[in-house]
Amino acid sequence: MIIRTHELTRTYHLGGSIIPAVNKVSVRIADASFVSILGPSGSGKTTLLNLIGLIDSPTSGTIYFDDQDVSHLTSKEQRHLRLENIGFVFQTFNLLPTLTALENVEFPLAMTKLSQDAQRTRAMQLLTKVGLAHRLHHRPGKLSTGEMQRVAIARALANNPRLILADEPTGDLDTDTGTEIIQLLFNLSRKHKTTVLVATHDKRVAEIADVTYFIQDGTISRLTGTSDN
Amino acid sequence: MVVQAFPVVGGNIPENVIDRVTQVEGVKTAVPMVVRFGYQVESVIQLVPTNISIGIPPGNWSTLVGETPLKPGGQWPTSTLDKNEVVVGPSLATQLNIASGSKITMGKRNLTVTGILDTRSALLSRAIILPIQLAQHLFYGHTMWINMIIIELETTEAREEVAKRIEEEILGLKALTAQERNEIVEPLLNDIDTWNIGLSSVLYLLSMILVMMVALINISERRRDFATLDAIGTPKRTMFRMVVTETAFIGLIGSLTGIFLGSITAIFIVSVYTEIPLALFFTDLLNFVPPLFMITILISTVIVSAIAGIISAIATLRMNVAEMLRAEY
Repeated sequence: MIIRTHELTRTYHLGGSIIPAVNKVSVRIADASFVSILGPSGSGKTTLLNLIGLIDSPTSGTIYFDDQDVSHLTSKEQRHLRLENIGFVFQTFNLLPTLTALENVEFPLAMTKLSQDAQRTRAMQLLTKVGLAHRLHHRPGKLSTGEMQRVAIARALANNPRLILADEPTGDLDTDTGTEIIQLLFNLSRKHKTTVLVATHDKRVAEIADVTYFIQDGTISRLTGTSDN
Repeated sequence: MVVQAFPVVGGNIPENVIDRVTQVEGVKTAVPMVVRFGYQVESVIQLVPTNISIGIPPGNWSTLVGETPLKPGGQWPTSTLDKNEVVVGPSLATQLNIASGSKITMGKRNLTVTGILDTRSALLSRAIILPIQLAQHLFYGHTMWINMIIIELETTEAREEVAKRIEEEILGLKALTAQERNEIVEPLLNDIDTWNIGLSSVLYLLSMILVMMVALINISERRRDFATLDAIGTPKRTMFRMVVTETAFIGLIGSLTGIFLGSITAIFIVSVYTEIPLALFFTDLLNFVPPLFMITILISTVIVSAIAGIISAIATLRMNVAEMLRAEY
């Protein structure tokens, strides 16, 4: 198992009451699997992804990465783990607007020991893989939403992570482009043996996922597949 | 040494006092003068006159201008009163489009410009120099009064004693050595300096607050970018360096722009206020805005920007990444 959570809980204080965004969630994500987490808006999908991605801290419970407890790592250790092992794809792409597509993909590589030439070559290869060889030097403002999401996927793959967390990756895309992006993520997952965890309310993702979880009011249940995929 | 009447600025002296002053022990020569400051905007208190008219006996020009020559083709006014001749400073000449031979009007008299001074002196550049009798007619309507006497001493060591003697022997006069003249002007200059420092400090403080606000707004507007950088694992020190460098760079660009636009604006305002042509300031720009002053502003702004950057960077590193990623903006 690349990811395992044990009774993971994240609560928020709203006014005088405590809201459990994620409530005692225990999941097991197998290596190189394509997993979807389905659920309506506000169900806790994003919070769960943030917790697994170590950009939010659980109120209680434990997260294991490769059977190592990572929920109590220092901030620096968590950053290092994210940089080397986790790629993020966001609903709103979150590309740096002043950088070109190529520079956006190069950015995470700049924090590795790769030479500048190697960084550029790898970024170009990744953008070619996602079908953007002809848009290398365009800034995000000059790209379509589908192209921006492809750049974001290339950036997520930059450091050859073992886990990609995609939060509503089709949320800002039209139906056809959304299908293309999901298919691209699935193909890359298979080709690179990368684990992909997609939080979405798009049921098409569940159709191709190895495992699908359903989350509502912070409580999770498995819909399809087994964690041993 | 300068002799003036009470009040020291604006008082008049009967011209025949010259003979009595000349007889005071220690006085070598005494040259009478009529000095009149011209202020363009009479309703506003001005610290610096926009021009100055000086009447002096023909033949004593060097007492006033030293070795300053006239531009080619010019000549000093003759002593004949009915010729109404004057020389003018180059700044005034350029402003009023005057050349040797031009006619100007002062009071109700038509005057002929016989020469243009070839000088960069701030005072002489804005001066109209004319025979003393002509000045007396223009400013008093008769030749009885003067308002300043320039005294050359037999020996400079005795200047304090001679000044004391003049004041004791001729009532109503004030004999001022160079040091005493400076002492009269000093409180005014100190006041100007104090105001200058006060205003500069307030403006500088406001600028710094502005730089700080711009830096914080810049970071605030890009909080999702920084949250993304944080999410992908960018080390804190890299983000810190990015924010500080960026803010310092903004400060550098802002400072350069500010110095350029500030200098232009200040010169433009002075030009409008004094009616001295803008072009005259540009030839001497570095005298009006000294390079050392520019460098000081540049360095201090970059330093303050970097400090603002550090504050912004600390705020950036303290933000809740998960919340910032969710933020809609």
